[in-house]
Amino acid sequence: MAWLGFAILALVLWGITGVTQKLSTNRISSERSFLWFCWAMVALSAAVVVIARPHWALGTTVAVFSIAGGALNGMGAWTSFKALESGGKASIVISLISLFPLLTVVLAVALLHERLTGMQMAGAVVAIAAAILLSLEPAPAKVGA
Amino acid sequence: MSETSRSRRLPLWLFWSLVTIVLWGTWGLVSKIASDGVDAYMNQLLFTVGIAPLLIFVSWKVRKGVAGENREGRNRGIFWAFLTGILGGVGNMAYFEAMVKGGKASVVTPVTALFPMVTVLLALIFLKERLGRLQWIGLGLAFVAIYLLNA
Repeated sequence: MAWLGFAILALVLWGITGVTQKLSTNRISSERSFLWFCWAMVALSAAVVVIARPHWALGTTVAVFSIAGGALNGMGAWTSFKALESGGKASIVISLISLFPLLTVVLAVALLHERLTGMQMAGAVVAIAAAILLSLEPAPAKVGA
Repeated sequence: MSETSRSRRLPLWLFWSLVTIVLWGTWGLVSKIASDGVDAYMNQLLFTVGIAPLLIFVSWKVRKGVAGENREGRNRGIFWAFLTGILGGVGNMAYFEAMVKGGKASVVTPVTALFPMVTVLLALIFLKERLGRLQWIGLGLAFVAIYLLNA
């Protein structure tokens, strides 16, 4: 059950990042936040090269798609900093953007001709309802009301 | 379109959240194609190669000066941003390691994808965020959707 410990670790660490992102954009711009997020990635990669032994042998296609994936993921990280900087609450923004597999599923059906499973279909419907409800910010309370 | 006119129809935070969904949704598709044969460490290295052009662009932008930045909290802000990267990266490796140690992707992925639950809990306690009733219902539905879409 060692895998469960690692899965919980990932869950907790990713969960904390939602709050640290907000704490960052409360103080500095999304650009500077993203810049230091990137430097942390560079530091981690340097540690990986020194400590771990990555499996260097890679096919060209896999390498190209992985790098493109890194760029897309990175841009998404930047825009998530922008969402938080623009006044989005961490609890709402992080939950909302975590619905991104909805688009992946749609793209996989359209471009890779994958078939939707029942779970995915149900997930897609619930995700759309969730996204609409999450976006409904309550009106600020009136002073003296 | 100016940001002011856009914000009247769509709050800026929502606009950027939707852009994030588009970028990460596409990333999800790309990584579906790329995932075979990449281990956690190589994934981290390739991710860094992918963000390198962004790093250069943002460095240039920040050097030019960013409007509206609060100078007082800069060091603290940098600390939190750096910590975000470290925790996120280590989280990625833990996720990969969970599968290396025998966890099935069909279990590990939907469970770890529920990480916003931790964010919500921490945001309510430490950031003192308050949500509307409909947003609470939305959160509940979002967790169901996240689980189903990743299962």
